[in-house]
Amino acid sequence: MSDKAKGKMTVFKTDRHEDAAAMVFVSLVVAFVLVYMAYVVPTVTIKPNQDGKLIAIKVQPDQEIKKGDLIYSFEYKDKKFVNGELQEKLAIKDVLASTNGKVLSVGVKEGDALKKGKTNIIVMDHEKGTLP
Amino acid sequence: MEEKKGLAHILAIVPGLAVMVGTLYLLRTFVEPWMKDAVVFGQKGWLVQVLSLNYILLSIIAGIIYRNVFFGGKIPDWAEAGFRTTRLFIKSGVIMLGSLYTLQKLAKVGSIAILLISTFVFGTVFFVIWYGKRIGMERSMIGVMGASCGVCGVSAAVATSPGVNAKPSEVALAIATILGFGIMTMFVSPFIGKALSMSDYQFGAWVGTGILNSGQVLATCLAFNPTFAPGTAVAYGEIWNVVRVISIPFVVFIITTWACKAEAAESCATGEKMSLTKVFKDRFPIFVLGFFGMTALSSLGWLGAEGSNTLHLMRDVMSWIFGIGLVGQGAYIDFRELKRAGGKPLRVGLVAGTLKYVVALIVIMLFVSKDASF
Repeated sequence: MSDKAKGKMTVFKTDRHEDAAAMVFVSLVVAFVLVYMAYVVPTVTIKPNQDGKLIAIKVQPDQEIKKGDLIYSFEYKDKKFVNGELQEKLAIKDVLASTNGKVLSVGVKEGDALKKGKTNIIVMDHEKGTLP
Repeated sequence: MEEKKGLAHILAIVPGLAVMVGTLYLLRTFVEPWMKDAVVFGQKGWLVQVLSLNYILLSIIAGIIYRNVFFGGKIPDWAEAGFRTTRLFIKSGVIMLGSLYTLQKLAKVGSIAILLISTFVFGTVFFVIWYGKRIGMERSMIGVMGASCGVCGVSAAVATSPGVNAKPSEVALAIATILGFGIMTMFVSPFIGKALSMSDYQFGAWVGTGILNSGQVLATCLAFNPTFAPGTAVAYGEIWNVVRVISIPFVVFIITTWACKAEAAESCATGEKMSLTKVFKDRFPIFVLGFFGMTALSSLGWLGAEGSNTLHLMRDVMSWIFGIGLVGQGAYIDFRELKRAGGKPLRVGLVAGTLKYVVALIVIMLFVSKDASF
């Protein structure tokens, strides 16, 4: 009798084996991503996490930056439910460096519109062994 | 099909897996971008914005088309082993979703999730037992339908089946009924959520309670808000989903105990004394420990800062893992099997599923605030 005929929907011996395999698989994926980002990726392009408008860029090409330094500030529409009502207001967010490194190029200027995940704000070379 | 071993077993996975990965690649690279730009009814991106079609929903649809159109109702032998990696990918995706939270955030919504899920899971199980008996459904079928409708379409049905002596065909019918019901809710829920102006928090809580399958919860949440990030529908929905998955051993215990008591003790399927500890030991879905492990790593900041390129890459990989799993999941939805299910199982599945879905919506709208918890 085939496995399918027994109602089995996994390539593993049991569901428990499948659970364990999923955990091992994710551990490998996470390890790969962390090692890749910390040691292998040559340069990092910083892009915005949401749409907005650039109001200040605080770095320039060839500048060394440290973790926590302000890179840029942008204005965005903050949408939030407050007491059951959707409120929308303009807010400003500062984006800080998550690691040490050197700015290679700046792709925007103040007043530019930022598109989530699309606009290249800066390209940087981060310190190896840290997570950009 | 003979069970292959060793390298042959691994090689047997390749063709089906290649179909799943290739399909997702085509959907993400060509189909979704085309849909974002396509003008329908004079509106650019109508397919994405109005129908909420994204690569996640398209993955499931592609799987359904493979099974029901190209494969003629049965996954062919050459692809079957590959498609059976479906749940490995879904479980891996659920584990990785743990990175969306910190322990403090989980604690904030955990108690509400536990309360709601417990009420709905066990309420549905008892309803299915009552309704199934009332319409004269076989006890074994009631058992797997109770598990499917109560807690999780696939895992719980499979986990309960030995305890209630269910036939493979009954497990397949229960799974087909619940996945079929889930497909309908996946497309309807985003419209309802938007029409009722639900917040991401309310929508995630509703879908996590009312939809019965991890992959479908994720797909529905992403159809409502396509962002993988803390504070989005998928982040809330998956907390509810994980709590539901954790309840599997309790449901297996209750249903098996009920089935054993209903029959003569000596004909009890397992032939041994039931205990919650034993069921918990045998049936606890240990992959949820991986989910909490990821949350712990996220809380310690070891996965990179929120908004960092590292987390961005991690979530991109996660979305691929889910997408591959969902192509496979679509291929487990067989319309012929659904038609065969017909009659009583279909009636029980539809009534219990709809009741849970609607009552969960009412409870969420009445008692769960729109304001996000985190």
